[in-house]
Amino acid sequence: MLDAFIQGLFVVFEWQTFLIMLLGIFLGFWVGLLPGLGGSTTLALMLPFIYKMSPVEAFAFLLGMHSVVSTTGDITSVLFGVPGEGTTAATILDGHAMAKKGEAGRALGAALMSSLIGALVGAFALALAIPVVRPLVLSFGAPELFMLAVVGIAFISSLSGQGGRALLRGFLAGLLGLLFSLVGQDPQAGVQRFTFSQLYLWGGLDLVPVLVGLFAVPEIVDLAIRGTSIAGELPQGNLGRGAWEGVKDTFRHFWLTIRCSLIGTFIGIMPGLGGGVAQWIAYGHAVQSAQDANERSGFGKGDVRGVLGPGAANNSKEGGALIPTIAFGVPGSSAMAILLGAFFMQGLMPGPDMLDKHLTLTFSMVWTMVIANTVTVVLSFFLLNQLAKLTMVPGSILIPFILFLAFIGSYTSNNHLGDLVVFLFFGFLGYLMIRSSWPRAPLVLGFVLGRIAENNFYISTIRYGPSWLLRPVVIILIVLTLLVIVYPLLRFRKGRQAAEEEPT
Amino acid sequence: MKRWNAKLRILSWAIFLIGMPVFVWGASPYEGKTLTIVVGYKPGGGYDRYARLYGKYLPKHIPGSPTIIIQNMPGANSIIAANHLYSVAKPDGLTIGTFNNALTTGQLTKVEGVKYDLMKFSWIGSAASDAVILTVRSDLPYKTFDDMRKAKEIVIGTTGPGSSTHDFPSILKEFTGVNLKLVPGYSSSADVMLAIERKEVDGRAGSYDSIKPFIDRGLVRPVIRNRISAPGIENLPVDEELTKDPKGKAIMAVNAAPTRIYRPYVAPPGTPADVMKILRDAFANASKDKELLAEAKKSKMTIDFASAEEALKVVREVLNQPAEMAQEIGKYIKFGD
Repeated sequence: MLDAFIQGLFVVFEWQTFLIMLLGIFLGFWVGLLPGLGGSTTLALMLPFIYKMSPVEAFAFLLGMHSVVSTTGDITSVLFGVPGEGTTAATILDGHAMAKKGEAGRALGAALMSSLIGALVGAFALALAIPVVRPLVLSFGAPELFMLAVVGIAFISSLSGQGGRALLRGFLAGLLGLLFSLVGQDPQAGVQRFTFSQLYLWGGLDLVPVLVGLFAVPEIVDLAIRGTSIAGELPQGNLGRGAWEGVKDTFRHFWLTIRCSLIGTFIGIMPGLGGGVAQWIAYGHAVQSAQDANERSGFGKGDVRGVLGPGAANNSKEGGALIPTIAFGVPGSSAMAILLGAFFMQGLMPGPDMLDKHLTLTFSMVWTMVIANTVTVVLSFFLLNQLAKLTMVPGSILIPFILFLAFIGSYTSNNHLGDLVVFLFFGFLGYLMIRSSWPRAPLVLGFVLGRIAENNFYISTIRYGPSWLLRPVVIILIVLTLLVIVYPLLRFRKGRQAAEEEPT
Repeated sequence: MKRWNAKLRILSWAIFLIGMPVFVWGASPYEGKTLTIVVGYKPGGGYDRYARLYGKYLPKHIPGSPTIIIQNMPGANSIIAANHLYSVAKPDGLTIGTFNNALTTGQLTKVEGVKYDLMKFSWIGSAASDAVILTVRSDLPYKTFDDMRKAKEIVIGTTGPGSSTHDFPSILKEFTGVNLKLVPGYSSSADVMLAIERKEVDGRAGSYDSIKPFIDRGLVRPVIRNRISAPGIENLPVDEELTKDPKGKAIMAVNAAPTRIYRPYVAPPGTPADVMKILRDAFANASKDKELLAEAKKSKMTIDFASAEEALKVVREVLNQPAEMAQEIGKYIKFGD
């Protein structure tokens, strides 16, 4: 096994493979930056080009491209408040808030460094998991997946603001998100729900226009009203030093970054949870790490930990998502489903053979992810100063450009006018929520987890009856759910008590 | 300001001149043109991969070698694309498209939102056929249909009504007396496969092409197929032989028919006959192209071309059901996303 591990590194460094990988990285770099181009779409478009490549070259190319998309997607999220990818929306909450405070460099440094750590953790998890991957994945059936979704939804309690009123708003926003997830044809009886006779809505609401609307529109309106640049009139200081500060932040909160990377990897491993989920759970966990109420209220206003969490998780999940694809031929995300096509084209059969006969190739994939992310992060650091300067460009010049990206980004998800309607609707909703200080993160969490929870609950009940509630992993997850809900409440109470005891 | 005007004028002339060839019919109607293939799904799926494969080799077989563009128009299980091809796209031979073969039953059962009439399209043909089969986990003792009939309960995972993973076993359950328990709600057929692997469900139905890798790996074993055969499953019992109910037989036949034209290609209604001849020949010849076949084989895609007449015959067979039969069929065969 160690042999294959080292061999895998060597094959990636053969000059031809390496050049092909660099080409992939270059493509992925731009795909991530531009909101209009999604990672999985590009993967599908590149599939015909691997026809004449060897397996190692093909995966160096495809994975090189795919694994840097979330890294550079974070850059767009931080700078403009438009998610560069559907998987990098959570970075906006604190990353863009930092940019508005004139700390774009620091936010970018933190996003990039945490992305790198996330990618490394994900890749090594993939390497380490190889011997145990089959039993691990097989122990998570529908009941466990349902409970995982519930744990995720429970994070609403820490993603809402402080106090009873804010908590109520958080839960209502979460319910609204669940409601939005119901749109489309239900998979049990085939009934159309909330589709209003629109064919476009049959497949449900698409994640990308929802996210772009919810997050980009309020930022654009805000920028227009202020009439300044994104960073306003604040003194910029040395942007390069800011980036270095962000790197240091990553190591200041090293364990948080590692924990969020592990969360991302784990969610990636679970097929059917989808790529959009990891970042939000990681964000919720980052918020939980706040020591007291005062510290917690800084989240959403530019706390660097809110950048580190999702930054790490959206990269580490890719390593995780490769695991079920390689070991079972069952893709963990839409991008992996397309990658599965690449396996067939290369005459490879994903499954036990990949962990045995083709182990060198499997490890070459691990190394590709590591090298691709290292190259991208190092290169990005050279560009950081220039990129961060974009936050000083006057809004009047920037707004048309951002609006253009937001519209294109939404439209490309289905190439349908409906995408733009959804984008504008959620843009308006997002603006209303910001104006009346309702939190948006719970809504997104409810939205991305709603279907997963519903389907797996149904499968569990019809397959096992009520007995699924007694499965050991389910019980553990129920306890975890309670902890996730109660923990912030307890902390809040303790904080208030402490405040009361203090002489005023 | 004046300089801008001059520049604009030059620019508009340039655009006009570049666009000119579109209006000039050369020796071949496709000389210097762009042929758009509308695909009713997002990039990466089966329909998309077939279109891209043909898109790569078609220029070789069309006089004038047009540039080919794949346009993904996803939504409502490709009804949006079919409606577009029917009433929006110009019948000039420059736009053709592909959509779900089950749109035939969709039209028969009058699914909401259907605005096309499959009989009126200018048919090009179908690139492939595909059998639908039912498979069970290899470690289970069910080797024949009789073994299955004796079983107390066999749990079948599905992605929900409207897909072959659901409709095929639900019709079997209704008419053959085999006790299948359907568990719908898995997010993809790959997800059902994983549920089989962890023994949450016992089996799965679906396209033979897509299950074949898992049969080869020994995870599942095929037990029943529909009337479409394929190499390797010729000897499986056919669903229609397993029931005595004439209604059941008829429903199974109607459900199976569209899988004969699994990857249909059409041009908008009223496309000129000379253009249609070029397109039909191009698809037929591309389907025999050695390079295309080699690439298809490598990507595990079956090529089994059916001509426009054959395709229309299948469509007619499905749509000519009497109204009361259509209603019955609608109870068992749903259509959805």
